[in-house]
Amino acid sequence: MKKTRFDRGNLKYYALSVLSVSLLLLAWFVYSSSANAILSTPMEVIERFAGVIRSPIAGTSLAGHIWASLKRVLTGFIVASAIGIVLGICFGWFETFRDIVWPIFSIIRPIPPIAWIPLVILWAGIGETAKIIIVFIACVMPVVLNTFAGIESADPLLLDAGKVLGANSRQMLLSVALPDSIPTIIAGMKNALSTGWMAVVGAEMVVAREGVGFLIISGMDNLDISLVLVSIVIIACISACLTFILNRMEGVLCPWLKLENK
Amino acid sequence: MKKNKKLKRLVLGFLGIAVFLGIWQLAGTLGWVSTKILASPTDVVATFIDKLTNPKPDGSTLPQHIWASLKLALIGFGAACVIGIPLGLTMGFFKGMDHFFNPLFEIIRPIPPLAWIPVILLILGIGTTAKAFIIFVAAFVPCLLNSYVGIKRTRTTLINVAKTSGATDMQIFFKVGLPSALPMVFTGVKVSLGTSWATLVAAEMLSSSVGLGYMIQRGRTIVRSDIIIVGMLTIGVIGAILVFLLSLLEKKIAPWRNKK
Amino acid sequence: MAEARKQITVKGICKSFQNQEQSLQVLQDVTLDVNENEFLVILGPGQCGKTVLLNILAGLESADSGTVEFANGTPKYGEIGFVFQRYALFPWKTVLQNVEMHHKFQRVPKKERREQAMHFIRLVGLDGFENAYPAQLSGGMKQRVGIARAYATRSNIILMDEPFGALDAQTRYQMQDEILKIRSAEKTTVIFVTNNIEEAVTLGDRILLMSNKPSSIVREYVPELPRPRQNTDRAFMDLRNVIAQDMDLAL
Repeated sequence: MKKTRFDRGNLKYYALSVLSVSLLLLAWFVYSSSANAILSTPMEVIERFAGVIRSPIAGTSLAGHIWASLKRVLTGFIVASAIGIVLGICFGWFETFRDIVWPIFSIIRPIPPIAWIPLVILWAGIGETAKIIIVFIACVMPVVLNTFAGIESADPLLLDAGKVLGANSRQMLLSVALPDSIPTIIAGMKNALSTGWMAVVGAEMVVAREGVGFLIISGMDNLDISLVLVSIVIIACISACLTFILNRMEGVLCPWLKLENK
Repeated sequence: MKKNKKLKRLVLGFLGIAVFLGIWQLAGTLGWVSTKILASPTDVVATFIDKLTNPKPDGSTLPQHIWASLKLALIGFGAACVIGIPLGLTMGFFKGMDHFFNPLFEIIRPIPPLAWIPVILLILGIGTTAKAFIIFVAAFVPCLLNSYVGIKRTRTTLINVAKTSGATDMQIFFKVGLPSALPMVFTGVKVSLGTSWATLVAAEMLSSSVGLGYMIQRGRTIVRSDIIIVGMLTIGVIGAILVFLLSLLEKKIAPWRNKK
Repeated sequence: MAEARKQITVKGICKSFQNQEQSLQVLQDVTLDVNENEFLVILGPGQCGKTVLLNILAGLESADSGTVEFANGTPKYGEIGFVFQRYALFPWKTVLQNVEMHHKFQRVPKKERREQAMHFIRLVGLDGFENAYPAQLSGGMKQRVGIARAYATRSNIILMDEPFGALDAQTRYQMQDEILKIRSAEKTTVIFVTNNIEEAVTLGDRILLMSNKPSSIVREYVPELPRPRQNTDRAFMDLRNVIAQDMDLAL
């Protein structure tokens, strides 16, 4: 029997979803409409959003703020991916290198990227470089770790296959171990991009003159909670977009993965 | 042969760290970089020992900072576990719960934890409650998500076996769903511990007068790289210890997970 | 039969594995000869050391003691074909790219290696699938790729490690016919490992029975059966029963 989308059971569940979201909106509305509420009403937020699109904030348009943050996060991410993959390969493939460098790396690893902000500002000032370095630090860890894990846990059966087919050790790395780790590496890059996005927002919140992190913090400083909420929506949307793009890239780079998951 | 390898690894590891520290120390001594910007290892050790008892120049001793941060992190993280795990499990198991809470969860899920800081500071003020709440929100998402996915992935065969032996829904939830979700729940708890520790540092950097995040931020304004580095290392070490403790707990509660 | 030329001489191979608690002897004094261009089946129960023996022949593992001598000199990697039980195809390569992998490693020009690969793809009956990814193929087709890839090394020795072990019974019969057809087109020495008696009797010019761990060669059979062999033949069934009894004893 064919089930329609709206048979009675499903309808009940849809009603629950609608109910919960309406309850949230209602609660927001009631709370924010009370006399001395700090929270602005949904209408105010929408108005503010329109305002943000129309007039620049602190001398930069909304697109300018978004572009400033994106530029920082992408630069840091790309540099970190390139260096991280090479470093991860070295850890996974060259035992002596791993033995020497890994302990140093494991001491630095648990320090959250945000905690680097003060030191990096001391080193590089409050300009673009500092922010890119912070994004770099945030992105490089997951890329290195995943590349390392991917290479180290490359399928021994495929390594044997490479060997009996006469691959030399360079070919073993580049044609067998590395492609076998690509899914793990991409997972690391996805992780890196979302961590990097966090880091750039954090860095801009601490010190910046443009960017979405600056936007949200200037909302806080001016007690403009509508602006804060608008910024949150923007930050979340960009975060979702970045994830979406990387997912797409995974499909293009590794067409065989989709087939396997079918 | 195996012993030799272990020894080699140990020796090379120490060698690596020694060379690293050596270069770092020389960089300061030979004046490659100003010690103001990068304090040498010996300075860092001296500052660490000094900060154990000396509240200057940032107002609190290191143990006080640690305690302030740890307290906040554990309150927020603990609350996230207590609320997030049961909610995630029930959402994953009972369809009605799923449909009611999932849309709400999908709304907050893509928001990076740091973005919550301004809203919460504005609404709740700059006190302890606000900061604990920030950490709660940051830790809540991975806790809930992993519990939810974990119980959803319970093998249908296992559920069917339980059903055919006459188990009630509640029995299936506690005896089948819960144990099989446990490994993923733990993954979520670990992730959320990491997130809460990182978010805590950010929250303290933005608004606080005590805590490790405040300490490194203060170190920046008065240009004391030694204090910053002591703070960073403390943050790192405590984060690592917390994760280690969790792994110990995991081995106790879900011993079947790490057996190869 | 005419005097067969010995191609591989294996003498007194022993091999044991160490894990934390104990040492497990897998091969004990394995001695055998392999003749040129013969189809040698090594038959043994489930977890005996058949795969380990093949790995030693291929050079993937080394023996604790004993010797392996090749009449034409010890081959390098790439000079012995190997068919894996679990296919071991590179999932990120298409069928064609998998089959030409050996030539790619040898830096053979693209056009030439493509032609070579296509020859073997046609040989195993996969033309039309050369641009498919392994994930798009059934188990039997995957193993055809594995066989083509092994033959594409142009080795005169092909090792097959329970190549049909992961296939269902129907596909298994088909693949047995297929392997004999391929063999009549490409004359090579084949060492074929299996735990299936019927498969051994269907395929082998000579069958060596291995005992359970620690394994050694306990018996040799030379089926005097005309090809193509029918598993309903009287002589076929007799031989199968004899081997089955011996195998029970060997366990």
